[in-house]
Amino acid sequence: MSEMQNVTVTAEIRRYDPGQDAAPRYERFQVTGPENMRVLDVVRSIYESQAPDLAYQFACRIGRCGTCAMRVNGRPVLACQERCKPEMRIEPLTPFPVLRDLVVDRSEIEGRLEQLALAPVRDAAHPGAPEPIGAELAAKLCRMDSCLLCMVCVSACPAVDQRAFDGPAFMLKLRHLAEHPADRGNRLGQALEHGMLECFNCDVCTQVCPADLSPAQAIRDFRKDLFLGGGRS
Amino acid sequence: MSSALPLPRNTTRQADVALQGEIARMLHRFTGTVIVIFVLVHVIAQAVLHAPALAALKAQASWLPVVQSQHWVHAVLYFSIVFHTLYGFKLLLTEIGFALDYRKALWSIVSVSSAFALRELLRYAGV
Repeated sequence: MSEMQNVTVTAEIRRYDPGQDAAPRYERFQVTGPENMRVLDVVRSIYESQAPDLAYQFACRIGRCGTCAMRVNGRPVLACQERCKPEMRIEPLTPFPVLRDLVVDRSEIEGRLEQLALAPVRDAAHPGAPEPIGAELAAKLCRMDSCLLCMVCVSACPAVDQRAFDGPAFMLKLRHLAEHPADRGNRLGQALEHGMLECFNCDVCTQVCPADLSPAQAIRDFRKDLFLGGGRS
Repeated sequence: MSSALPLPRNTTRQADVALQGEIARMLHRFTGTVIVIFVLVHVIAQAVLHAPALAALKAQASWLPVVQSQHWVHAVLYFSIVFHTLYGFKLLLTEIGFALDYRKALWSIVSVSSAFALRELLRYAGV
């Protein structure tokens, strides 16, 4: 087994405290560590030994929580999963407002999720016992529900940047409920209201999704329902 | 068997690779622009060449046949028309339920379009 080599990487981190700084600035740091370091390892090392006032956030470190999403060299990634590069420019996730340094304000995201009412809307009261559901559909729903809401897809989406479109993650959440047998809500109508038709169908969200999901496919399924019928209205 | 992803996930290198969807989107936009420009220029050129009222302009447009016979202009135009048409079909097909892998679809369409452009270049090269 080959021995792990150490590498020195240069990270340029966007520092900004809206309460104190007039404008954002970039600070350069050098970190030496194992060659398979993740971006999060680099940021943590900087915080621990060079910039104790650096604001960033993480939780699980295994790509399951989506908390550590940030932009590396202009590309949204999960910092705990992304390999470090020799030269990195690390920035907070766009297009969200920055609270401080690499931490973004997620209250708008939470507000949108609340607005979407992402719980099954039922015709009758819940029977109080598990409802039968086909194994295939259950697996599909389970898979769609594994979205981390890390907002990497929203940050990468060119349509979010240019048009009135909430973003792929929200469409995936709506599609999850549209496929749910207990839900009677007008999820297609909600998707339309939140800009589903503005999607370029470019699959950038599919490529960057850390959970290997395809929000673009969810949007295509909605569009298929819209054009050919078949969805609940 | 569950389709859940194994832990820990594989390391990603997202920041190192090109976004293929972005390439497709930009190519589609570029080729669309080329087609629009071609149609405009074509209509104007035909008017200049054939309308008797524009005979004076025709005399001044000695550069037009030179541009028309440029092999790279033909290659770019053929690539644009084929790419834009096929990628447009791909978008339509996926939106009515056909499952097409975005990467395979993009590079297949680029290959077919490039073949048309290459054929045009080779034709001028006498092959």
